[in-house]
Amino acid sequence: MASLQQHLEAERCALPPAARAQPWRGEAFASFNALGLPTRRDERWRYTDLKPLDNERLSFVPAAPDAELRAHVAAFLETQDIDLEGPRLVFIDGHFDATLSRRAELPGVTISSLADAWDSFVPEGSTGAAHARSRHPLAALNAAFVQQGAVLKLARGVVAAAPIQCVFVTAGRDQAAVQPRIVIELAEAAAATVVQHFVDAPEAAPGWLNVVTEVSQGPGSSLTVYRLQEHGTEQVHTSLLRARLERDARLTAGYVDRGGGLVRNDIDVTLAEPGAKADLFGILLAAGTQHIDNSLCVDHAAPRTTSLESFRAIADDRAHAVFCGKVTVRPGAQRIDARQTSDNLLLSAKAEIDTKPELEIYADDVKCTHGATVGELDEEQMFYLRSRGVSADAARALLTFAFAHITLERIALPALRERAIREIAGRLPEGVEWESP
Amino acid sequence: MLKIDNLHVRVADRVILNGLTLEVGAGEVHAIMGPNGSGKSTLAQVLAGRESFEITAGSIEYLGRNLLELAPEERARAGVFLAFQYPIEIPGVNNAYLLKAAVNARRRAEGKPQIDAFEFMRLIKGKMELMQISKEFLNRSINVGFSGGEKKRNEILQMLMLEPRLAVLDETDSGLDVDALKIVAAGVNSLRGADRSMLLITHYQRLLELIVPDRVHVLAGGKIAMSGGSELARELDERGYDWIETAAASA
Repeated sequence: MASLQQHLEAERCALPPAARAQPWRGEAFASFNALGLPTRRDERWRYTDLKPLDNERLSFVPAAPDAELRAHVAAFLETQDIDLEGPRLVFIDGHFDATLSRRAELPGVTISSLADAWDSFVPEGSTGAAHARSRHPLAALNAAFVQQGAVLKLARGVVAAAPIQCVFVTAGRDQAAVQPRIVIELAEAAAATVVQHFVDAPEAAPGWLNVVTEVSQGPGSSLTVYRLQEHGTEQVHTSLLRARLERDARLTAGYVDRGGGLVRNDIDVTLAEPGAKADLFGILLAAGTQHIDNSLCVDHAAPRTTSLESFRAIADDRAHAVFCGKVTVRPGAQRIDARQTSDNLLLSAKAEIDTKPELEIYADDVKCTHGATVGELDEEQMFYLRSRGVSADAARALLTFAFAHITLERIALPALRERAIREIAGRLPEGVEWESP
Repeated sequence: MLKIDNLHVRVADRVILNGLTLEVGAGEVHAIMGPNGSGKSTLAQVLAGRESFEITAGSIEYLGRNLLELAPEERARAGVFLAFQYPIEIPGVNNAYLLKAAVNARRRAEGKPQIDAFEFMRLIKGKMELMQISKEFLNRSINVGFSGGEKKRNEILQMLMLEPRLAVLDETDSGLDVDALKIVAAGVNSLRGADRSMLLITHYQRLLELIVPDRVHVLAGGKIAMSGGSELARELDERGYDWIETAAASA
């Protein structure tokens, strides 16, 4: 740890002067130093060990991609069917790339680069107060080193006509610790869909991407965030989605994780006013020695708020999948509906799945349910498929895929859904040739 | 077509079939009747290749091959079809996918070309009309949210698509109202032919009024206790099974 602090101190000096000059940098830095890298002694991090990040070779101020690397990424993106209609922001190792991005005007939507907005920007996690509440060291670290990202603002009543896509490409030849940040602000009754897509260009060096998404939603606003994580299995990926919802606001978040060697996703939602609702779902597929952890924190701070959590995991080989769902119902927050399900499929005797619901309820008129299942493939279903001529291997793959498909079909953007389906289907042990009806 | 000889089957320590012998010729429809717990469904599952049963003695020959050596999927590809008594629900896999995979697995085994989406739709359209199944059904998860009758009609639709050489229908009539029973019977009858054999497993005679069998067998005590023509079914309906069990016990 001491060595990490020294390393970060040295890295800090490498920040460009304009970025370094922000007054909140120091606070964020102090915050992170006070908390340190989470360890497994911390209950919230019990199953996930971040020790591999204490690595002096990680560069927290990664070099901007040169022309050759940008051409390499451009050629790679050409081969990827991930382009949706609407604006697209492409980041290479955290650096915004204007050429590969697409500006598409959406009336009432302002998209600006974080680097252009330093003066009006104070990242959450940088201040002591916000930090004490969240106690999320990685948010503080992100604030200490964030250089680029995007600020998306929707004016009152604006409904974005197309999804806003952020593509994060890991490409560099040096080990980078990329710290991007996306800020989303929806004014009253605004509505948008934001897609976050994480991919590796071929031959990318193993590194770490630590992304923070800050969401604030005004009354009656509606936001959908889809996150597809397709890193190579050498990469470390940590993400935090922190959202605050006002009266009658809706947040939908859909997470698909099939990549990364060490992955930790935090979703931290505050339902601050009556009528707010969060619908959070995800599917992860972990094989080999992959470790993927989804940890959720939902704070029912007001009456008549709703949270739905539905997460699925498939673990094969020696992989480790984790789901932690914490729901807090504050005193006086009556008529709460909180439902949590965690369904898990174990494909190997050496794989591990940990699933942990945690309810803290300080009100009496609440409806809180949680259910967790961990199982293997169903014998009856296997026999049924085989009795129709499907081979045992194909039946196994098909049932595994079907388990994932139940979550994947909830992705409302067809192009994105197809991509996620192909990504999951293509990584099953025997492969499933899936075509949508 | 099918020759079962002296079949002994047990599950755990319980003997379920105890020397069952039965021969079904090409083009014939046989009914297997019998009281609950007589082993009718076990016979159906053993024919389809269910692995949880232990075969302790006897043999099953199908089209000159040793059926017991074949995995369930190999049997299906060789033309054996089981219509399940309780069709299994598979959330997340749609009917069209399974139907196409099943048809193509069979075709591959027979060295025939795979069917494409267009050919598939052409093939299934009339069969769905016959079974009174609507088009939307193809995109729904297998058997999920289906009524009992819909599940049974779905089994018959699969059978019509696969055109098996040997069809085993395990209590396909149970839980069906009169209208659904007629639809199912029409589907089954449309498949009757000189090179196709059927085994109808049923508890009641009413299905056999609509699908008239060539032979009726009564399964009791783990073996065939009595055989006869289609009139035997009517007699069983009137007299019940007790007299056969008594006769079998004293024989």
